[in-house]
Amino acid sequence: MRFTRPVHRSACLKSPLRLADRKPGRTHARIAGAAVTATLFLAACGSNAGSTATYADKPVPGGSLTYGIDTEPTCFDIHVSQQDITAAIQRNVFDSLVTEDDAGTFHPWLATSWDIAPDLTSFTFRLRQGVTFTDGTDFNADAVRINFDHIVAKTTKSQYAASLLGPYTGTDVIDPYTVKVNFSKPFAPFLQAASTAYLGFYSPKTLTANADKLCGGGPVAVGTGPFTFTSYTKGQRIVLTKNPAYAWAPATGKHTGPAYIDTLTIRILKENAARVGSLTSGQIDVISAVPPANVKAIQADQNLQVLRKDIAGAPYSLYLNTSLAPLNDERVRTAIQRGVNLDQDVSTVYFGQYKRAWSPISATTPSYDATLEKSWPYEPATSNQLLDQAGWTGRDAAGYRTRNGIRLTIEWPTVPAFVREQRDILGQAIQDDLKKIGVEITRPAVDIGTYVTKAYGGQFQVLDFSWGRFEPDVLRLFFNSGSTLATGGQNASLLSDPEVDNWTDTGAATLDQATRNDVYAKTQKAVINKAVVIPVYTSSSIIGAAGYVKGIAFDANSWPLFYDAWRNKK
Amino acid sequence: MRSPLATRRALFSRRGIIQGAAERLLAGTAVMLGAATLAFAALQLVPGDTVAVLLGPTTTASPEIRQQIRTEFGFDQPVPVRYARYVGNLLHGDLGSSYQLQQPVSKLINDQIWPTVQLTVAAVAVAVVIAVVSAVVTAGRRPALRATATAWELVALSTPPHWLGIMLLTVFSFQLRIFPVAGAQSLSSLVLPAVTLALSVAGVLGQVLREGLEAALEQPFVVTARSRGLSQSAVRLRHAFRHAATPLLTLAGWLTGTLLGGTVVIETVFSRPGIGSLTMQAVTSRDLPVVLGVVLLSAFAVVLIFTVVDLLHLVIDPRLRTTEAAL
Repeated sequence: MRFTRPVHRSACLKSPLRLADRKPGRTHARIAGAAVTATLFLAACGSNAGSTATYADKPVPGGSLTYGIDTEPTCFDIHVSQQDITAAIQRNVFDSLVTEDDAGTFHPWLATSWDIAPDLTSFTFRLRQGVTFTDGTDFNADAVRINFDHIVAKTTKSQYAASLLGPYTGTDVIDPYTVKVNFSKPFAPFLQAASTAYLGFYSPKTLTANADKLCGGGPVAVGTGPFTFTSYTKGQRIVLTKNPAYAWAPATGKHTGPAYIDTLTIRILKENAARVGSLTSGQIDVISAVPPANVKAIQADQNLQVLRKDIAGAPYSLYLNTSLAPLNDERVRTAIQRGVNLDQDVSTVYFGQYKRAWSPISATTPSYDATLEKSWPYEPATSNQLLDQAGWTGRDAAGYRTRNGIRLTIEWPTVPAFVREQRDILGQAIQDDLKKIGVEITRPAVDIGTYVTKAYGGQFQVLDFSWGRFEPDVLRLFFNSGSTLATGGQNASLLSDPEVDNWTDTGAATLDQATRNDVYAKTQKAVINKAVVIPVYTSSSIIGAAGYVKGIAFDANSWPLFYDAWRNKK
Repeated sequence: MRSPLATRRALFSRRGIIQGAAERLLAGTAVMLGAATLAFAALQLVPGDTVAVLLGPTTTASPEIRQQIRTEFGFDQPVPVRYARYVGNLLHGDLGSSYQLQQPVSKLINDQIWPTVQLTVAAVAVAVVIAVVSAVVTAGRRPALRATATAWELVALSTPPHWLGIMLLTVFSFQLRIFPVAGAQSLSSLVLPAVTLALSVAGVLGQVLREGLEAALEQPFVVTARSRGLSQSAVRLRHAFRHAATPLLTLAGWLTGTLLGGTVVIETVFSRPGIGSLTMQAVTSRDLPVVLGVVLLSAFAVVLIFTVVDLLHLVIDPRLRTTEAAL
């Protein structure tokens, strides 16, 4: 699988480094080979690419980049925040024990090697020596213990990282550079969790002195990463500066040593038109979240490029509440699942830029079951048949189905403050589709308080979510009966199925790939067959960049990485 | 009940100044405390568990962590206790800490207030200039000219600021590249947001001022002034304008108050920091200390603005400067 997909119309503007995209199991020889190919390639068509830019054939250190993002973190503390954007920014500042490639294989980073207890209740890491935090503190076993203990401490009030540590019981310092991380029960997802920025490491010194200031970002956020957090001006900008001492790049990086660019300025540009306009008018170098409607225009501009990667985890899906009538009838659920014309709806609303989804996990997630594709196509005739069988045979004046004089109405709430990616418009398309088979969908706009109260109480018939995580364990989060909304889970279907529970528990307690593929495939098939979920579309991390920006890569969670980025322009 | 004129006269009379200041101070404090109390009560009435709202709908926080948040922020205390504690802290000048951003509210407001003040002051200044020029030039003139001015004012005040902002950005930033697209670091980055915010205000002010001018131009003193040989423009500017400016000033003061809170759209379009975005974020996530802090600030701003407006009335309207004894 390609890591990034250069979609520029001019092949000569493609980054030579992106041609050498990370592939599982690549070797240094392969990088070298690709670099040679890239050099030849550029030599063959080097002069066409614009008049002012000077194109180098290998990364040039120096210069700065300005990157416009669409969301401002509310809290920069990786141990507290649950926001993707926090991790995406802080990935540049904080390193992790291990790194995960696109195939789901783990590689050394701050840990050089590790052993896993056969029962998966402890993980022993041998740490890299000579790693220092940017305040000069040594990174060692104590630092790991202090960080993990800090994450689970009640006073940290962690909204996400603590749940990534799961049944954590403590960290033993075996020697100054060896730690043993212990869990009260088998915990297979730990390596994946340990690879995320949420389980990155703060300097113990800053944790002691500034624990209550970490949410505010800025220089108190001291890590070991390729950049230091120089400043944060709320509502405006985040400035990251190169860490010149950086010599412990992850094995998935494309180079070693310090980052190429000196300064990365991240501008907060919430308004889509302003963000896109800043890029197209040359005022900034890179933007995140290119709206699907603008992708073609950016691709068509020969001075710009589009980089993208589909987001792993749970795609945007509708979860049908199996505990409430009429959705407690599988026939009604299936009728709805087969009665939405997703191919057409998704491609229309997103200009063909987002893919429609077929499984409760997206195609880039490990253990994805591709056999589900096209297995439940749009079939309004089937839907009508099922609804007839379920007794919804009457019709009222408005054309909706009735049973015993009661209209077939489904309530699917919306919280206007949280609507993004035009999901409200997509919702209207789905409403229209279902009207054709006689099902009324109402979309009451509710405030967040009402939403949370009723959602926790299982009182809504349909809820919609997406959940980015490069790990099929999200299936446990969404479908295990122990994973209720009120306890921090996401089982919005209120599914309680012993088999699904068993499979998702098994998957969380084994690292055996064959077993995981098996139980996760069974889970994906089961929840589709029972029609407790309607996967809708897989969102994509779409980055727009000037042609001279090279080497931006995506990590497994589809967040752009700037460690390898460089500026191909004097 | 005293007429507004009489109230102002009393306020600025020699004996009245001290009394007026004391009244103002008391009333201002009462307004601020009342506003904070109302906001406190309103946020208690909003449905749903505060911790759940703070965490949002997609969270993996465990019940233990939720309990910790509840205890630490005092959500498990009865409402009267929390209110008493809040007011107590307030009297010590402590606005509390944001639940969501985990920073002192006073620091957050201090960081965000200046961009908002700059924007508001610039916008009001631009709006007043546009309104005055448009009204003075067109009041009581040929119907065609007058109709054109009225029409543009109507368009200006009914154009959605969001759309207008994007249009101005597209033309002046993306195409002509005269102004930077975003930020609050330089004067040039203030121009487009200020103009966007000013146009609708200018529309309202222009309409009011023109009507005031036209009414003033029909007053007998205009005839007297003309008979003294004053030119048409001198009459307009020196006599009629002064007369018509009083309601303009009151309205401009009132609009400034609403602008302070209404800048959130402009802040989003032009990617500026400011109180609007802070408030929006706080209200959606029910970040009580921040909401209350902003409410107090707004109440203070309104009291301040109206005091300034009253002082300006004194400058504009000589009738107010006479002492009570002289009346």
